[in-house]
Amino acid sequence: MQAQWTQKYRPKTLSEVVGNEEAKKKILQWIQSWSKRPPKKRALFLHGPPGTGKTVSVEALANDLDMELVQSNASDYRTAEAVERFAGRASKYGTLSGKKRLILFDELDGITGTADRGGLSVITDIVKKTGSPIILTANDAYDPRFSTLRNYCELVEFRKPSRTNIEKQLAKICSLEDIEAEDTAIKLIAERASGDVRSAVNDLQALAQGKKHLTYDDVSWLATRDRKDVIFNVLRAIFYAKDSLTARDAADMADVDLDMLFEWIYENLPYHVKNPEELAATMDMLALADTYRGRIASTQNWSLMRYFIDFMTAGVAASWSKKASGWVPFRFPTRISRMSASRADRQMLRTIGLKIGKRCHVSSVRAVKEILPYLRVMLGNNPEMATDLAKYFDLDEDMISYLVEK
Amino acid sequence: MWTEKYRPRSLDDIVDQEEIVNRLKSFVKTQNVPHCIFAGPPGTGKTTAALCLAHDLYGEGYREHMMELNASDERGINVVRETVKTFARTRSIGEVAFKMLILDEADNMTSDAQQALRRTMERYTETARFILIANYSGKIIEPIQSRCAPFRFTYLPREDVIKRMKHICENEKVKIMDNGIEAILEISGGDLRKTENILQTAASVGKPIDAETVYSVVGRANPYDVREMMLTALNGDFVGARNKLREMILKYGLAGSDIIGQVHSEAFRLNVPDKWKVKLADITGEIDFRLIQGSNEEIQLSALLAKLVEAGSEIKRGN
Repeated sequence: MQAQWTQKYRPKTLSEVVGNEEAKKKILQWIQSWSKRPPKKRALFLHGPPGTGKTVSVEALANDLDMELVQSNASDYRTAEAVERFAGRASKYGTLSGKKRLILFDELDGITGTADRGGLSVITDIVKKTGSPIILTANDAYDPRFSTLRNYCELVEFRKPSRTNIEKQLAKICSLEDIEAEDTAIKLIAERASGDVRSAVNDLQALAQGKKHLTYDDVSWLATRDRKDVIFNVLRAIFYAKDSLTARDAADMADVDLDMLFEWIYENLPYHVKNPEELAATMDMLALADTYRGRIASTQNWSLMRYFIDFMTAGVAASWSKKASGWVPFRFPTRISRMSASRADRQMLRTIGLKIGKRCHVSSVRAVKEILPYLRVMLGNNPEMATDLAKYFDLDEDMISYLVEK
Repeated sequence: MWTEKYRPRSLDDIVDQEEIVNRLKSFVKTQNVPHCIFAGPPGTGKTTAALCLAHDLYGEGYREHMMELNASDERGINVVRETVKTFARTRSIGEVAFKMLILDEADNMTSDAQQALRRTMERYTETARFILIANYSGKIIEPIQSRCAPFRFTYLPREDVIKRMKHICENEKVKIMDNGIEAILEISGGDLRKTENILQTAASVGKPIDAETVYSVVGRANPYDVREMMLTALNGDFVGARNKLREMILKYGLAGSDIIGQVHSEAFRLNVPDKWKVKLADITGEIDFRLIQGSNEEIQLSALLAKLVEAGSEIKRGN
């Protein structure tokens, strides 16, 4: 089994951490301020959305400065007693090896009021008088639970790295893994991750591992996994939205891949919108949305994405009377399951088309369109003719059974 | 394959396109060929004429002096810059001073590639002559057209197509009825390739070819039915029509542009008011344009089917 890429490519040094240059600078300044005596604020409070690099920054820092890292995260008990046991000592005494010590309280949001009773106030006490630097992390530093603790900490905000930064990281991994990836594929993964480097790397691994090439097609169906319930809710919210703004917001409401969402809407729309005039109007909106998608693909101008979203959500909602015709179950988009099968089909057809085209002096496209249909019937009708023709066109068994079966 | 088996080898074997063939023969006599454009509908002998010309010019080993490229398969500018150029600039070793490059389906070349081709044709005239084959010469850029001698191919006359069919049947020892011949003619128009393909397919059934056999094999070869799909939509069954559309695209590999073309021609034959025919033409045109811009064919065509559903319901209400 291959290692998790998030582990394999975890930054070893602070400079490798994606983005957040400002925060990294602040961390370094603060740790340097410990060199003579403890600074006024003895703890650093890193806060920011998931996957922006808080924990890895601390690990990389400890590695850079060759410090001993002592950490507790949400999987550990953090009652007053447990915290005292874990950090009380560590904050007072030196290490056996003589290395300096760095204490990390990771994922502070995970501290619960009941199971971890008293934990936060003990942490606050330790922070006040610690002899070793302490770093805390949380998604939201402004949670009222942290109000006292916050006073004794220097706050450092981690922001979502830009899409470009994430793209660079993904591209680097691809080249290290020897994967040739289309720019558009990388772009889409990075875009979808919306600032979460960890999830971007996880997605990349899920999609690209074991491949030599990563194409846009491979990626476009990202995020279909186990999101059914979410999608059902979003669909309902769009189809039956009370106004166009609500419909539009529904697309943002859940973290659903937009191309995928489009397929769901397209598949299910005709089962909900029964009135012919309204059906035509809503389908028209989908066609319009699709037109923007085509423009995005051909110009690579992703800012047009908003119009794609407008028409498939608000456009649809605004184009019909939204009278529910009883309970209608949602259906899985059939196009998706057939898409990959048809890709293999297309490849096969092209190969056969080229062979026929060569013999008959036509292009592969024309061969598939004009000659292949007849060839199929001949092969099915007449075994003798079939043998001759197979030889003549140099078709192998796979190709013949493909042609005859269909 | 009968189309290949019965493809004329020499200009002398070509019975039609008399005027064209005579001019080509005079090229052979003088051992000089200008750049040419062969334009005309499919199955009228353009490629055959080019191959025959090469054969008569260079003799049996003609393949060594010519190159045949299909622009639909190799349509980019790089082909012109690499393959074509490399071929064109090396000198021929035979009696004839130049080599011949046959560029089939040239109207499918990108305009970039055509621009590049224009310079290549000019620079290497000494060593290579080009024959561009196209359905529509209008799709070839003006500067290339002006460098080429134009030849217009037309559909073969009925009698000649019939003669051809009879000749093949005799040779293959296949019996064909008059109504079989009529049926094939009706379906294929003057397209000889299509004619021969249908003929061979009908012959593969293994009994005398009559109209019924012809219609049945053609029906089996083209089981998708654009008209049927449109009628389903007109009857108000959008989901059913959409399923038919999906079948055409996924199972039979039809391109959106093919379906659009058929939808367009069927639209005017539907039993709907003229007002709607024109409306449908407008929508078809818009979709045709969107497909060129890279939109998804199924989505766009579905929107058209939904319009048909709307048309159907309006007609029922007497509008």
